Amino acid sequence: MLLDFDRLGPWKWVLITITTLVCLFLLLPIVFIAALSFGSSQWLIFPPPGWTTRWYGELFADPRWLQSAFTSLKIAAIVTVLSVGIGFLAALSLNRGSFAGREVLRALFLTPMILPVVVLAVALYAFFLRIGLNGTTLGFIIAHLLIALPFSIISIGSALEGFDKSIEDAAILCGASPWEARLRVTVPAISHGLFGAAVFSFLASWDEVVLAIFMASPTLQTLPVKIWATLRQDLTPVIAAASTLLILFTMLLMIIAALVRRGSKQGTKP
Amino acid sequence: MAMTATAAPGERIARRRHAAFVWALPALVLILLFFVTPVLGLLLRSVTEPTLGLQNYAELIGTGTYARIFANTFLVAGVVTALSVVIGYPVAWALAVLPRPWGQLVFAIIILSMWTNLLARTYAWMVLLQRTGVINKTLMGLGVIDQPLALVNNLVGVTIGMTYIMLPFVILPLVGVLRAIDPAILRAGALCGANSWQCFTRILLPLSLPGIAAGALMVFVMALGYYVTPALLGGTANMMLAEMVAQFVQSLVNWGMGGAAAFVLLVVTLALYAVQLRFFGAGRIG
Repeated sequence: MLLDFDRLGPWKWVLITITTLVCLFLLLPIVFIAALSFGSSQWLIFPPPGWTTRWYGELFADPRWLQSAFTSLKIAAIVTVLSVGIGFLAALSLNRGSFAGREVLRALFLTPMILPVVVLAVALYAFFLRIGLNGTTLGFIIAHLLIALPFSIISIGSALEGFDKSIEDAAILCGASPWEARLRVTVPAISHGLFGAAVFSFLASWDEVVLAIFMASPTLQTLPVKIWATLRQDLTPVIAAASTLLILFTMLLMIIAALVRRGSKQGTKP
Repeated sequence: MAMTATAAPGERIARRRHAAFVWALPALVLILLFFVTPVLGLLLRSVTEPTLGLQNYAELIGTGTYARIFANTFLVAGVVTALSVVIGYPVAWALAVLPRPWGQLVFAIIILSMWTNLLARTYAWMVLLQRTGVINKTLMGLGVIDQPLALVNNLVGVTIGMTYIMLPFVILPLVGVLRAIDPAILRAGALCGANSWQCFTRILLPLSLPGIAAGALMVFVMALGYYVTPALLGGTANMMLAEMVAQFVQSLVNWGMGGAAAFVLLVVTLALYAVQLRFFGAGRIG
């Protein structure tokens, strides 16, 4: 009946109409930005009076844009490695351990995700001012690691839950050392969870704005900070060009993620 | 000799269950040092600066300007939550029943919008909603309005921008809830003579209510502490709580008041999160 598409009756067209409108609503800003980045109007008039690649030229002519993109990439890459590594150990501990306070620990590890980022940003800002980490790459990495880690722990944790631990025990009974068993049996089996953790950690750092605004200094800016600072001055089409490139980058990541997921599904088929 | 050889691996397995705590240490040290300590430090400053006492909280509660910011924050969060649920529910329902290729397409659009850089999306709305923007021009072209509507630098803009961001967070968990409902229950309802409206209001809606409530609560909590979108689309005259925290620290360098405002935001968030855990289980947070 109501959960069978062919027998929805009058509901069918209501659902289709609303879903189409919502999809258009969700696509509108994305399509619009891409179109405007090629529009010749400085004042973002739509439809544009003509087409140009001038804004992309200005984007690449300004070394500060490229520099901030490079900074973002560097920080996100380091955060990804640390987040997957530390997250793997933490998820393993929560999954396998039988020590007291395990649930408290799990809740504590996930808290940075539910706490409003601005509270963490302000608190870290104050703390880093005292210990001299403000405006440093290390400060950025620590801040972003805090919000990337919960994603890793959740992603790897759920992969570990779906993994039959007795296989690892069997490897140990066959003579493998515990870490040998973990690295050569468990890690390959939960590779989709590790990959998910890496993608989410990377995006958590790459797209992060609020912590970055507080951590940044005039000489050390990530791409979101550069966009934020430019946006506060005026709505130049150069931001549209930068945003379009970011959207393309996101799509590329989505496609890679989808391909990996499909590959891992086929790989596990008997 | 033979006995120790057979006992050793089993013992090793048993022993590492307790040793497992050690593996959590890197994460624990990181969180205690760079999360718990700074947050507690900030909260401490709210009761020690400029002098020891609760004067910061008294000022926060007693001042009309701040009261308006609290009201703004809860109003926007409430409206955004309501809109997200009302618009998101039919989409989640459609996703639960749509034939495969169409369902996947809708799914891909939702994920794409969710993964698109937050600043890129907010920038798009700033441009779309401005006085000379596409939306005002279209509405004027259609003769719906004579004067451009003020859609940015006010709470209307914030509400539109935030609903856009929050929709996926309502839709995605709801799809799972709707898919988990046994269609046989609906068939039974129909067989007993319920028409399709009754099937919806008396069976489908009540059965999906826990999913709606969980999604709504999550969106409400997220909206309360949101910073970027209100700051860019709201303008300075329509501040929300998260902006107030940032403002105290960045522009006014008033750590006492900043800490107090942060504490209020923290307590409200954690209290609502506790409600979520109590009634809906851990569920999906991210």
